[in-house]
Amino acid sequence: MSLVHQIVVLFRFQLRDEVRTGEVAAVVIPFGAIALLVIPMAIGIETTLLARVGPGLFWAVVLLFGVVVTQRRTASTGQAHHDALTLLGVDPAARFAATALASGVLLLVFEVALGLVTIVLYDPLLTGWAWLGLVLPLVAAGLAMLGTIAGFVADGRGPLAPLLVAPLAIPILLGAAQATEGLVQGAGILRWILMLALVDVLLALAGVLTARPLEGPST
Amino acid sequence: MTRPIEIAAAGTMLTALVAGLVVPPDAIQGDLQRIMYVHVPSAWLAYLAFAVTLASSIAHLVNRDLKWDRRAGASAEVGVVFTGLALATGMIWGKPVWGVWWTWDARLVLTAAMFFVYLAYLALRRSVDDPVVRGRRTAVFGIVAAVQIPLVHFSVVWWRSLHQPPTVLRPGEPQIDPPLLFALVMGVVAFTILYAALFRRRVELAEVEDALVTGVAVGEAVAGAAVVEPGGGGR
Repeated sequence: MSLVHQIVVLFRFQLRDEVRTGEVAAVVIPFGAIALLVIPMAIGIETTLLARVGPGLFWAVVLLFGVVVTQRRTASTGQAHHDALTLLGVDPAARFAATALASGVLLLVFEVALGLVTIVLYDPLLTGWAWLGLVLPLVAAGLAMLGTIAGFVADGRGPLAPLLVAPLAIPILLGAAQATEGLVQGAGILRWILMLALVDVLLALAGVLTARPLEGPST
Repeated sequence: MTRPIEIAAAGTMLTALVAGLVVPPDAIQGDLQRIMYVHVPSAWLAYLAFAVTLASSIAHLVNRDLKWDRRAGASAEVGVVFTGLALATGMIWGKPVWGVWWTWDARLVLTAAMFFVYLAYLALRRSVDDPVVRGRRTAVFGIVAAVQIPLVHFSVVWWRSLHQPPTVLRPGEPQIDPPLLFALVMGVVAFTILYAALFRRRVELAEVEDALVTGVAVGEAVAGAAVVEPGGGGR
């Protein structure tokens, strides 16, 4: 079975898992929406202020709650499943790529859903919104790969993965927030797009190159 | 037992302390600037320590020898202490000079992020008991975490920053008077030797910790040592 075929099969398997469990749709998206709902209660409900800070809060919530998306527990994340894939000769790089790809798709859905909540609750200025068609997938891909690497490294030690991901995701948050701010100000955002793309490429390389060393029995 | 490097560390630290106290005060900041003789060497040590962690992590992944994992962990631990010291001294200096303990400056924010990244690295080390599994996992994170080092250093160049740009490590002549430069260099030398002494002690402690977990002292021959698990860890 070729590497691409392995990735496709594992990717479908993980998405099917999510369809069955509905963890992202039924738990994480509502959780993120609640966060966007309660923040104005803490900082004040002045509509001009909320319109100003809305995009930034959206990205902060995506980063923090996106970690939960990448660390979701399903039937395909257990040690038995991992051992079965190893015995079947599945390439560790294919396992990384498929997990990151599935998390990326789910994160994109998460971003779109929370984006709509942000528009409804915060009423931000939507200048140049078409660029979000590029920014959202780049952020989703970066967070997905970072979360997948952290998930492999933390190996089921639940509270550890968010601590590993959050500080390392700061370049992604900076790029996304600056791109959105640039859209509102009418400034060029190409350099922020390039920065996000560069981070994604570096994470893809890190994920593929370190997938094999991470293979092996865990404790 | 006290080693020559520890005596050297104590001697150079004392010399650096005296130099930092006797050189003339800064023309604008006065005596407040003396805190830089601790702040700058601490920041330098953070870079050095995390670079050693990166190099040791790569070495561990290449040859699977656990001594590299212990070196990576020891260096990260010392680095976290000195990053915390750099942040604390920066804040103590910032309050009278900038008027605030903390400001949302790129260098400050990214240094704090680097501090948390390596705290997470240490948490990851503590979460795994088996030295072989720990070595593999933390080496990968040690490599990914190192992306923070150039980001922190060049943040004052890449972003408009309140933090001053490089004064000594810059193209052209250093922008600092010779007596002040001497005190700063003494601080860097003393802190570097102190790092070497602390690093060595911490590596020894890590060897004892691993021996406690595995029940085999480092360097001790094990029955059947010639037969090893493929890709398994060394000693």
